Amino acid sequence: MMHSDVLLLQAREGDRHAQGKLMQVWYKRIYNFSYKFFYDHDMAMEVSQRTFISMHRNIAFLQDGARFKSWLYTIAVNCCREELRKRKSERSVSLHDLNPGEAEDSYHWEASGIRAENPERVFRQSELSELLHDCLLQLSVEQREVVIMKEYEGLKFREIAEALNISENTVKSRMYYGLEALKRIFEKKKITKESLGYEL
Amino acid sequence: MSYKPDEATLVAYLYGELDIAEQRLVADYLLHHPDEKKRVEEWSTARTILSELPDKEVIAPPVILGEPKSIPLWKERYVRMSLGIAASMVFFLVAARLLGLSASYVPGELKIGFGVVQKAVPPSPALTKQEVDEMIRTSLEGNNSALQASWSEDRKALEQSVQKNLRSNTVRIDQLMQTASLANQDQVKQFVGQLQTDNLKLMKDYMQLSTAGQKEYIENLLVDFSSYLAEQRKQDLQLLQARVNKVEKNTDQFKQETEEILTSLITNTSTNNQRRN
Repeated sequence: MMHSDVLLLQAREGDRHAQGKLMQVWYKRIYNFSYKFFYDHDMAMEVSQRTFISMHRNIAFLQDGARFKSWLYTIAVNCCREELRKRKSERSVSLHDLNPGEAEDSYHWEASGIRAENPERVFRQSELSELLHDCLLQLSVEQREVVIMKEYEGLKFREIAEALNISENTVKSRMYYGLEALKRIFEKKKITKESLGYEL
Repeated sequence: MSYKPDEATLVAYLYGELDIAEQRLVADYLLHHPDEKKRVEEWSTARTILSELPDKEVIAPPVILGEPKSIPLWKERYVRMSLGIAASMVFFLVAARLLGLSASYVPGELKIGFGVVQKAVPPSPALTKQEVDEMIRTSLEGNNSALQASWSEDRKALEQSVQKNLRSNTVRIDQLMQTASLANQDQVKQFVGQLQTDNLKLMKDYMQLSTAGQKEYIENLLVDFSSYLAEQRKQDLQLLQARVNKVEKNTDQFKQETEEILTSLITNTSTNNQRRN
C-alpha cells in the first residue's frame, strides 16, 4: 500500500484534508477485508465507515507512524468482531442475502464493472467468487482474519501480530491451521488448480 | 540430519519470511523429506486457488470532515471533575452542619453521631463477691422455706381426699352386695330351664333343615343316575346295531365273491372239457 509519510504526518497533526485523502487511499483495502470477512456488502460498508470514523477520531493519538497499517487493521478487526457479535444477537438476514446477484439493482450486478466482457466468463467468475467466499466463511473467525490479512491484504506476520495483539508464532499457527482447513475444504468441494483452469 | 522445522517455520518459509540461512536449511530439509515437501506444495496450491478471488472494486464515499468543535473550559474533563469534588465537599459540610454531625476518636473507639451527644452515665459501683454470695444464700433459703410450706399443705389435702373417697366407695359396695343376695333359688331354676328350652328348639330346627336338604340331594342324584343309565343303554344298542349291519354287509360281500369264484370255476371247467373233446 502506497501512502505518503507526509500525508500521514499531516493527518496526525489534524489536517482534515490529509485525513480525507488517507481514507481515499485505504478505503478499498478495508472494504475488501471486511467484505471477504463477512461476504456481505452492507456489513462491509458499515465496518469501513466505522473504521474510518474511528481513525478520524484517534489518529492524533497514534504514536508511531510506521505502525499505521497494523493500527488501521486493528480498528477494522475490532469493528468486524463487534458487527459479528451484533449479527449473532440480532439474527437478522440481509435482503441481499436472500437472493444475491440476481436482482437488477443488486450490488453484485452493480459492482461487476466488467459488463463489456464475455457474459459466460463473467458468470463463471461470479460463481467462482461465491464458491471461494463460501470456503473462507467455513474457517473459524480467528483463522479467517489471519488468512485474509495474509493472502489478500499482504500483511507481514509481524504486522498481523501487531494488529491482532497476539504473538507472531500464534499468527503462524493460525495460518497453518487455516491452510490445512482450506486444503480439506477444497478437497471436499473438488476444487483443484485444473478445475480452476477449466472454469476460467 | 537432525534439523526439523516446526509448523510455524514451514508457514514462514511458504510466505518467504525466513532469513536466507534458515530458508536454505528448510529447503534442504524438504529435499530430503518428500512428505513434508508435498504438504508445503499443497498449501501452495491452496494459496493459488485463493488468489483466484479478486478484490471488489469500490469507490470511497465522499467525506465531509468538519472542524473540531472548540470545547469551552468549563466542559473540560479535569475542570468538571474538580468542580464535582468541590461540590461534594460543600454538600457534605452543609449536611453535617444541618444534621449536627459529630465525630470523635479515642484509641480503640470511633464515634459518629447526629444531634446533641449525650454524656454517658457513669456505671454504679460493682458488688463484692461476699455480697453476691449473701444475696444468693438469702434467696435460696427463702425459696426452700416457701417450698416446704407448700409441700405440707399439699400432703394434708391429699390425705383428706383419699380418706373421703374410701368411705364413699365402701358404702356403695355394701349396697350392691345386699341387692345381689336378694335373688332366690326359684329365679335361678327358671332361668336355666328357659335356656334349655331355647337350645332344644334350635337343635330341632337345624335337624329339620338338614334332613330336607339331604332328601332333595339324594333325589337329584337318583334322577341323574337313571338318565345316565338310559343314555348308556341307548348308545350300546346303537353300537350293536352298527356291528350287526357290518356283519350282514360282510356276509353279502362274501356270498357275492363265492358266487363269482364258482362261476369262474364252472366256466373254466366247461372250456377245458370242450377243448378235450
